Amino acid sequence: MEEEDQRKVTDLVIELVRRLLSQQNPTPNPPHLSQSLRYAFRILSSRLTPSVSPDADAVAESIKRCLATQGNSSDALTFADLYSKFASKNGPGSVNNKWAVLYLLKIISEDRKNAVNGMDSSVFLPNLGLNDDETGNDSRVLNGKDNRDKTWKKGFLLVSKDPENLREISYREFGNLVKDENDVTEEVLVKDVLYACQGIDGKYVKFDSSLDGYALSDLVKVPRATRTIVRKLCELGWLFRKVNGYISESMDGFPAEDVGTVGQAFCAALQNELSEYYKLLAVLEAQSMNPIPLVSENASSGNYLSLRRLSVWFAEPMVKMRLMAALVDKCKALRGGAMAGAIHLHAQHGDLLVHDFMRRLLRRVCSPLFEMVRSWVLEGELEDIFAEFFIVGQPVKVESLWREGYRLHAGMLPLFISQSIAQRILRTGKSINFLRVCCDDRGWADAATEAVAAAGVTTRRGGLGYGETDALESLVMEAAKRIDKHLLDVIYKRYKFKEHCLAIKRYLLLGQGDFVQYLMDIVGPELSEPANTISSFKLAGLLESAIRSSNAQYDDPDILDRLRVKMMPHGTGDRGWDVFSLEYDARVPLDTVFTESVMTRYLRIFNFLWKLRRVEHALIGAWKTMKPNCITSHVYTKLQRAVKMQLFSTLRRCQVLWDEMNHFVTNLQYYIMFEVLEVSWSNFSNEMEVAKDLDDLLGAHEKYLHSIVEKSLLGERSQTLYKSLFVLFDLIMQFRSHADRLYEGIHELQARTVESSSNPRDKNKPRKTKDKFSEPGYWVTEGRKALTQRASEFLQNMGQDLDALATDYKSLLEGFLALLPVQQHIDLKFLLFRSLMSFSLCCHLNEQSPDDPVDI
Amino acid sequence: MDPDAAQTARESLDLAFHMSNILDTGLDRHTLSVLIALCDLGLNPEALAAVVKELQREPTPQAPMPSSSSPIL
Repeated sequence: MEEEDQRKVTDLVIELVRRLLSQQNPTPNPPHLSQSLRYAFRILSSRLTPSVSPDADAVAESIKRCLATQGNSSDALTFADLYSKFASKNGPGSVNNKWAVLYLLKIISEDRKNAVNGMDSSVFLPNLGLNDDETGNDSRVLNGKDNRDKTWKKGFLLVSKDPENLREISYREFGNLVKDENDVTEEVLVKDVLYACQGIDGKYVKFDSSLDGYALSDLVKVPRATRTIVRKLCELGWLFRKVNGYISESMDGFPAEDVGTVGQAFCAALQNELSEYYKLLAVLEAQSMNPIPLVSENASSGNYLSLRRLSVWFAEPMVKMRLMAALVDKCKALRGGAMAGAIHLHAQHGDLLVHDFMRRLLRRVCSPLFEMVRSWVLEGELEDIFAEFFIVGQPVKVESLWREGYRLHAGMLPLFISQSIAQRILRTGKSINFLRVCCDDRGWADAATEAVAAAGVTTRRGGLGYGETDALESLVMEAAKRIDKHLLDVIYKRYKFKEHCLAIKRYLLLGQGDFVQYLMDIVGPELSEPANTISSFKLAGLLESAIRSSNAQYDDPDILDRLRVKMMPHGTGDRGWDVFSLEYDARVPLDTVFTESVMTRYLRIFNFLWKLRRVEHALIGAWKTMKPNCITSHVYTKLQRAVKMQLFSTLRRCQVLWDEMNHFVTNLQYYIMFEVLEVSWSNFSNEMEVAKDLDDLLGAHEKYLHSIVEKSLLGERSQTLYKSLFVLFDLIMQFRSHADRLYEGIHELQARTVESSSNPRDKNKPRKTKDKFSEPGYWVTEGRKALTQRASEFLQNMGQDLDALATDYKSLLEGFLALLPVQQHIDLKFLLFRSLMSFSLCCHLNEQSPDDPVDI
Repeated sequence: MDPDAAQTARESLDLAFHMSNILDTGLDRHTLSVLIALCDLGLNPEALAAVVKELQREPTPQAPMPSSSSPIL
């Protein structure tokens, strides 16, 4: 079929040529014919595809328009009519390629017109007109060539191939110009710049230390524009050098412990980013192999690389590299959490590109930190070889583990972890360690897993990351909640913290009244000896017996076990009273609460309370002898009137003084017991109920002790008050001894009078009176008169002593009470009120005449 | 060729001849028919037009074709 067509074509062409030639020359000569034939074939084979889209209607339209514009509107109409008829012809025998026919006619008619016109104009104005030959010396060369083309045709656009040589000529000119100006071709420069961006010196672009950057050497002749652009592009190289330098430095320094895990992570993240950068550079290098068009002869418009294209490619990497270099600068001297915090500050940026980049970086950098937090919070492990974590541990003794074992290191705390969270983290890990070490408890692991389940975070490594601060917070909160609760459970249930506190209150703070009474009774005589003669074993035995004889025996044996006698270090002049104290042995883990200093304070309070009790005890003892009894009344009846009066007054004064002292001591005792101890204890109990963790508990206990100390006038600001109180106590003790002596004397007197009256008769008087006689002294059997004289003398002395005591006491008490309102920091209203009440009562009583007969 | 096809062909040729006269192409009927046949066979009309133009311009170029230089320019 093809061959047949070809034959047809050939025949037809021959026929066409013959006919065309015969138009001019009726007798065509054969050489001319064959020549023309050859020419025709050449033309036909040169252009095989038309340059217009085959649209018959469009062609017809344009023809019509042409005709119309030429003024042949009737022709146009006729043509339109003809065309419609022509176009409607379909089927065998009709023209298939209607478009081609129309186009052909159009071109031929135009050519004829142009030939007519062109003949005229080409004579005068060769360059003007619609001819193909337009400019250039070489146009003749191209004219006969096959790439002849039609330029703009009237009516519609022709897509034309490269017309004249105009463009090519100008490009060639440009190429020559560029070669003249530059010593170095742009391709070489591009390659050099690419090397510089990897930190390597190229042939022409080298690192200049004076400029601190990569630059073209001045010896190379390039236009200034090129120099500038090269310098700009090499900024990327400078930044790369900086970042790379930091990475290699850190990698080298790693074993030397200068760079921690966070620093390592930072370097890894940077290297990651740099690998992306290397990929880009590899692609660019491949592209740079292609020659650049316009500057070299054989160039295609494929993917080539020029300096300008390079600057576009480098825009994004430049931003990233700048960021990295800035970070490197910032973090050179930092480590651990501080480094993470510094990088975090940089991440507060609005640009999305920067934001994403920083986020990626930070995720990697903070992963060691978060890992450390996770393991600390859930397992209490502190694996921090390079001191990067914000919690530092110190090796301490077991009892100080809670208070001093771990603390926060503010320098290493990154900003995205707030202070409160950090405190919780610290406390949680501390609790786990505390439970593990001090309480020997394993139950915290369950609490930890529960916490993890509640927070929805996995326990495996890398579960948490930067940007998930919420997740971290929730994990920490859950863990803290559970571990704290567990710790408090353990402390309360297993170690019976409350019971121990109560026991301390009962024994050290003398809450168990009957026990104290017994103890005082038993131990009292022992303690009057000098301190260095008292044996603590004996005292321990006495303590045991005191316990057994009081309600304390029903207490928990574990608690009683811890109660001990302690003899404080003493000097030579001390009596037992000064050095005696009780001690409570709070073992691990409760000694976190009851530390050495806390126990010392308890001791001080005990001392004070013990002294108070002693005074009270003394006064009660005095009362026992001062009770009206038959001895005194007997004496009373037997004496003469003058002595009787003396006796009265002395006894009376003694009574009054005793009343005063007793009142004061009772009030003080009441104040201490109820206003101070009980109130503080109830406050403490309430706080123990609501305490959420051990820190709360410690605080509550601290407050409790502090309030007791301050209110019992043992604080530093109450020093003067305390001293005056002790002087009062001493006075009271003196009174006691005086009262004892007085009553002893009275008893003696009674014995004497009984003796003297019954001496001749009663030989069978009880032996006890005889014992009194065996005393050497001046109670030699004399007459009744001598007895009376002695009695009166004695009574007078006693009376004077008592008076002296009384005045001293009164003045001291006044002074003490005057000081009380000055104490602004404690609430001593009650003490003041009651003491004043007694004072006024005593005043009132004292105003009465001491000589009135009062029934004893 | 059946009579209908022949009829159609004749009519088409008449119409084309009429059109070409309006456009003043200077082609006679026979030449036109040859040209139409060539177009139908798929030749480029631009090339055909060029052939027509060149061969109609016969009087001016005498020398060999490729390096002909016009005395005008």
